[in-house]
Amino acid sequence: MKSRLSNFLKKIIILLILIIPNIVNADFFEDITDKIIDNPKRLSYGISVTDMDKDGKYEFIVTGFGYSNLALSYRDGNLINIADQDIFSDELRKSIGVAACDVDKDGYEEIYFLNTDTYSGTKKYSDRLIDLEGNKFLDMFEIDTNKEDLNLTAGRSVACVDRKGNGEYGLYVSNYGGPTRFYEIEDKIIKDKSANLNLDNITGGRAVVSGHILTDRSDIFAANERGANFLLKNNDGVFEDVAFDYRVDDVIQNGRGTALADIMYRGRLDIISGNWQGYHRAYVLKNDQFKDIGNNKFDKPSRIRTIISADFDNDGYDEVFMNNIAEPNKLFKIIENGRFEEIKLEIALEPDGYGTGAAVADIDNDGILELLVSRGESKEQPLTLYKAKVSKQSKYLRIKPINKYGAPARGATVTLLTNQRKHSKTIDAGSGYLCQMEPVAHYGIRKNENDFKVEVRWTNGTKDLIKITKLDQTVIIKQK
Amino acid sequence: MKKTLYKFFLIFFVLFQFETIAEEKNYYKELITDWSRIFPDQNRNAAGPKFFKYIIDKEITYEDFVEFNKLYCAVSGSLINPNSEPDFLFANESNTNKKICGDYYKCCIPCSCDIMKYSEVEKMKYKFIDGLQEFYVFTIKNPCNKKDFPNRVNKNYFCDGVKINNNQVYSLNGRIVIGLLHNGRSCRKDDIDFVKTHQVTGRFCELRNNTPLENLEGGMGDIFIKLAK
Repeated sequence: MKSRLSNFLKKIIILLILIIPNIVNADFFEDITDKIIDNPKRLSYGISVTDMDKDGKYEFIVTGFGYSNLALSYRDGNLINIADQDIFSDELRKSIGVAACDVDKDGYEEIYFLNTDTYSGTKKYSDRLIDLEGNKFLDMFEIDTNKEDLNLTAGRSVACVDRKGNGEYGLYVSNYGGPTRFYEIEDKIIKDKSANLNLDNITGGRAVVSGHILTDRSDIFAANERGANFLLKNNDGVFEDVAFDYRVDDVIQNGRGTALADIMYRGRLDIISGNWQGYHRAYVLKNDQFKDIGNNKFDKPSRIRTIISADFDNDGYDEVFMNNIAEPNKLFKIIENGRFEEIKLEIALEPDGYGTGAAVADIDNDGILELLVSRGESKEQPLTLYKAKVSKQSKYLRIKPINKYGAPARGATVTLLTNQRKHSKTIDAGSGYLCQMEPVAHYGIRKNENDFKVEVRWTNGTKDLIKITKLDQTVIIKQK
Repeated sequence: MKKTLYKFFLIFFVLFQFETIAEEKNYYKELITDWSRIFPDQNRNAAGPKFFKYIIDKEITYEDFVEFNKLYCAVSGSLINPNSEPDFLFANESNTNKKICGDYYKCCIPCSCDIMKYSEVEKMKYKFIDGLQEFYVFTIKNPCNKKDFPNRVNKNYFCDGVKINNNQVYSLNGRIVIGLLHNGRSCRKDDIDFVKTHQVTGRFCELRNNTPLENLEGGMGDIFIKLAK
């Protein structure tokens, strides 16, 4: 009798062991917000990651909407704001989108702050393009010769596009209720070239990302509101909208958070596109059309803002973080064959958070990504900072491509090749809704993974293949 | 007792695992995804027939057909949120003039009035992938030779000259099918009483249907009526 009962109990225990891991998830993140020194309630929006002070380390650049723009630097174990010049902090203007890239080919990433003091149409204050000369920041749009083409239309996001593949970055400014702008420096003057490049469309611009989506050059995907999305195929530097043909126009949904991600781990970038209170898309290219493969947990409508695809926990599989406003955040792991598995959050859930943006960077240089979440819009809230709980045995590899001018190669694609996967990541050009990630491809390493090689596809389409002999390091790869 | 408990846990386990992998069909998402295919010029005014044609051209089961047809308004061409409640109403059958009752999924209440007054129903047979089915559909007469064809409606969707454009819409006995009457059947007396005394299909529709066309504001205004009358 005793042994029968014991057998029965054993069976029950085995069943519970099978069931319980699905029900209970240990906290994925830990909350390290206390590392942000001086973190008052405020209205924050977009975040970018760049080396703002040329010290070789990245800062989180956080926009302020009627509040100061911040540059959060990791110093002595904490994040501290080091922005102390008015032209950068710019408290009077309402900044929302931000992206950094080297537009003047000096190796330093200029920072584009997209200001918007109205919802749609004509705005009062133009945007800023911040450069650093010596120790002094200046706004390139305040130089007399650059004042002709100021952006005086409300906007949301901005992304860097090396359309010619020669390291000369332009800035795609996703405007709302007025034509899209595309700024480039020509003869030392900032010019809006949107009309010449078939980009001056009027829509409700929201998010924009750029990278190797269709061609060997920087293509553009722009998620819009009250109008079709754009998928802008780069034809020798001029763009053609092929969103309808490729079935990503999603015309009656309202685009928000967008990210380029290798959803199938097959060595190409596909598109994750979140829609405001609409179905979120996981577009995977198949036979010249994108097919949405998101399951019914992933696609569930929410008040979505920024979407980030990154390997937070260094397990070699990317997670997708969905930052929602006034609604809990969500996290999914992309496992093999593009299957999205929800990770239940407690830390970083932020059910009362008014999320307006988020970005990742290994800001403390320990091989684990930090996630900074900005909040605000209709309620002043402090920033929050999270880090995944990572196994001590975990390993990582970080690849930092640098272009021929010595600047981060935003828009380049890094592919990790191993015995287990072919995994591409974009060097983020911005701005999958207002934000831009660190210009590094961060890979966690899978169990029993070996034979590591890395391929960098530069913005001109050429490729370099590098053998990796050591993990747990950041490899800098320079364009020849 | 042990056996029962064991079975319970086994069933729970199987159901739980199944829940995690089950993917329900999302008809609404499919319509949203294909919206620009259905309306390439993005004009869906009064274009319920476009939805009907798009749906019936799919290789689907009868159940899929019914579910898809709950998600658009036959009068306005608007999408309807999933889980919306239909109005119970009637319309006259074309040949017999008998009243046929059933459920109509609408985007707004004036559309229920317009469909009762300006459409007719016909019995239709169609072979789906799971077999032949018979059901009632709403139809309007061929509008293609109208001099006052409403200019806010894309005429090319409906017409090929003065003929119905069968590549764009589905026609039955020379009339355009605009949508499905769900659970259609001959009306009983108490059905008719219910419809006539209902606050929407009774009182409100009486008021709307006696309002001059130029004064109509709700629903599609006069667009559908001009098309269908």
